[in-house]
Amino acid sequence: MTAVTTPATERAAPRPATPAGRSRGQRAGYLFVTPAVLLFLVFVAGPFAAAVVLSFYSWDLLTPAEFNGFGNFTEMVGDPLLYQALANTFLFALASVVTHVVGGLLLALAVNRTMSRVLSYFVRTALFFPFVISWAAVALLWKYVLDPTFGVVTHYAGEVGLSTPDWFTDPDWALPAIIGIDLWHTIGFTFIIMLAGLQTVPSQLIEAARCDGASRRQILWYVTLPAMSPTIFFAVVITFIGAFQIFDPVQIITPQGGPDNSTLTVVMYLYQKGFQTFQAGYASAVSLLVFAVMLVVTLVQFWGARKWVHHQ
Amino acid sequence: MRGSDLMDPHGPAHLPRRRVLRATAAAAGSLPLVSALTSCINLGVEGSPHGPLDVLYLGDATQQQSFDQLFDAFREAHPDIELEARGIAAPNWGTFANTVATQIAGGKVPDVVQVATEGQRLFASKGLMEPLDDYIANDRALVDAYFADVDPQLRTWTETYSSTDGKTYYIPGGYNTAVLYCNTEVFEAAGVDLPTREWTWEEFRRAGVLIKERTGAFLIPLGFGFPFIDIMPWLLTNGASTLNSTWDEGTFDSEGAVEAAAFVKGLIDDGLSPQPGGTFDAVGQLRNNALATLGGGRWPTLDVRRLDMLDRVRIVSWPVNAGHGSPVGWDGWPILKASRKKEKAWTFLTWLMSEEASVFYARNGGSTVPARNSVATGAPFLDQAPPGTEALPEAITYGTPIPSPERGSEVQDAINQGWQAAITGTKPVREALESANERLGGLL
Repeated sequence: MTAVTTPATERAAPRPATPAGRSRGQRAGYLFVTPAVLLFLVFVAGPFAAAVVLSFYSWDLLTPAEFNGFGNFTEMVGDPLLYQALANTFLFALASVVTHVVGGLLLALAVNRTMSRVLSYFVRTALFFPFVISWAAVALLWKYVLDPTFGVVTHYAGEVGLSTPDWFTDPDWALPAIIGIDLWHTIGFTFIIMLAGLQTVPSQLIEAARCDGASRRQILWYVTLPAMSPTIFFAVVITFIGAFQIFDPVQIITPQGGPDNSTLTVVMYLYQKGFQTFQAGYASAVSLLVFAVMLVVTLVQFWGARKWVHHQ
Repeated sequence: MRGSDLMDPHGPAHLPRRRVLRATAAAAGSLPLVSALTSCINLGVEGSPHGPLDVLYLGDATQQQSFDQLFDAFREAHPDIELEARGIAAPNWGTFANTVATQIAGGKVPDVVQVATEGQRLFASKGLMEPLDDYIANDRALVDAYFADVDPQLRTWTETYSSTDGKTYYIPGGYNTAVLYCNTEVFEAAGVDLPTREWTWEEFRRAGVLIKERTGAFLIPLGFGFPFIDIMPWLLTNGASTLNSTWDEGTFDSEGAVEAAAFVKGLIDDGLSPQPGGTFDAVGQLRNNALATLGGGRWPTLDVRRLDMLDRVRIVSWPVNAGHGSPVGWDGWPILKASRKKEKAWTFLTWLMSEEASVFYARNGGSTVPARNSVATGAPFLDQAPPGTEALPEAITYGTPIPSPERGSEVQDAINQGWQAAITGTKPVREALESANERLGGLL
């Protein structure tokens, strides 16, 4: 029997695409994306459509819904608690973006530059570790740490003659305390992103700047940060979106919106409206507002990014 | 990717057909969504005529064990009725009501649901409950026998406060009042006598100062998240309340309420209570002799038993200023209008009214005071309970129903926030209560 061999070049050449083959390929492609599309339809598009419809109804979950036109939206305009929730949420999101981005960047610079490899791995792990703990556990942990009577912070502050505020019952301190807890919990994520971005900065650029006599500060300001700007932009967008949806720690630590509604966030407010006061239509309208705010802020961020983000 | 990139270059002639097919498929696919949404907001849901009788109740793991035993007893008494009881471990009645409402909205309608005072008017006003008047008329002798053994106020309150149209929707079950669980070892160590009958706020405060000085223990944990214990006993023992007797006007800024909040704030300022809003484990600290008293209804008895403290705890009535007072909250058992097993559900309710069920639940660790006086003042309830447990059923004679208007959740929020601001000092007491009362005005 004579073995028939095919030249390698011939074997590697693609088959001419036939309509039948292309059709099979398309079917396979559709099959692969079907689960994702179904999940998207059921858990994202479906609820979104439901929220849009419900926002035009008055519905208490228990009795049939009644068409309410734009009633829910006009009610939102005159709802002072909604304004307070929005103000709290913007404050939280702004503080979160600033502290996470600046803190994450500084930590990444420190770890990237000055530490030995072993210490660097340890610090990376230690900083990222809180991020893998569930929010419920973190919230309870900090509730114990900052307990006004028995908390560790209260105890040691007292030992050195300092008095601490009642973190979660004082309207002036409740939101700052939660901002701090959020920073502790999630800065590891921003830090890892920043560290990854830092390591993509081309070393030849830094070497060139150094050869030109640039100081470390100048290298950071004129080389490293511009080169990292896409990473920083990503961190800003992601942090804002995450912060604007904050719910778990606020609900666990200061249920019902905290002292004087000082920690009432907009997602918490829509939860209260939907599932505690049974105003599902109004809650849906608020959810659309949250969506619109995040969309607008993100678009503004993308528009602004054209001025300061440098794509290599 | 632009739209033209998606075109099939080999079959432009097929495109319209494919697009039509895709559009048809998309429309067909979206039909269930639209249908689900429409049925959801129209809420045409009904219970199932098949399967077991579905009973929903509030209870944590410990309470569920007691309920399970109670329901087992029902199954034994009525082997022809299959019963499925679902316990919801909600932290409070508000959350329980929210969970039940969400389940109903989702189409899972129980046949019978335990509803506390806080949710009775809300659920009745929504037309979800079946009027029980005809069932009661048909079983008049049985129902009369039950109510003959129940504090008459409980029936009156159920008729007055739990209905908006004069019909009867609930059979009252167990109830709770507010008393103090006292750690006798702490009092003894401080050389302070426990009151034999009645004690005043001032005596209570003086006892706390001595206990703090001599043992370091706190007098009582004070808070703002649970009005039944944190707020109402102080108001009611000073002749005040959060709302008037018809629940249509706020009275949270009355002189009596302001005086009560100022007194509670004073206890906190004097260090007789841990700072509110913390993580103080009251039951654990009571066991560790780091706490002298703990407010509660029947439910702390379960912890006292569990921690083997029956010989170290005594129950006394709440200290008074203007006079005796206690909030009263009770279970109501209705049949849902959507139920397709109403006769079986009524059989279940009649069984709950029986002395047999009452005795069984009292004995096996129920978290409420049995509605039947004969059981609440008898051995099944008083055995295996701290001395002084008689104070619990006695308190219903001078008790006041916990105010629970239709917008109870928002009302409770306003009250909690006002009380919190008052006792933690973030606002002057009077200003805090006046501000809360103004908010109440818009919710009634």
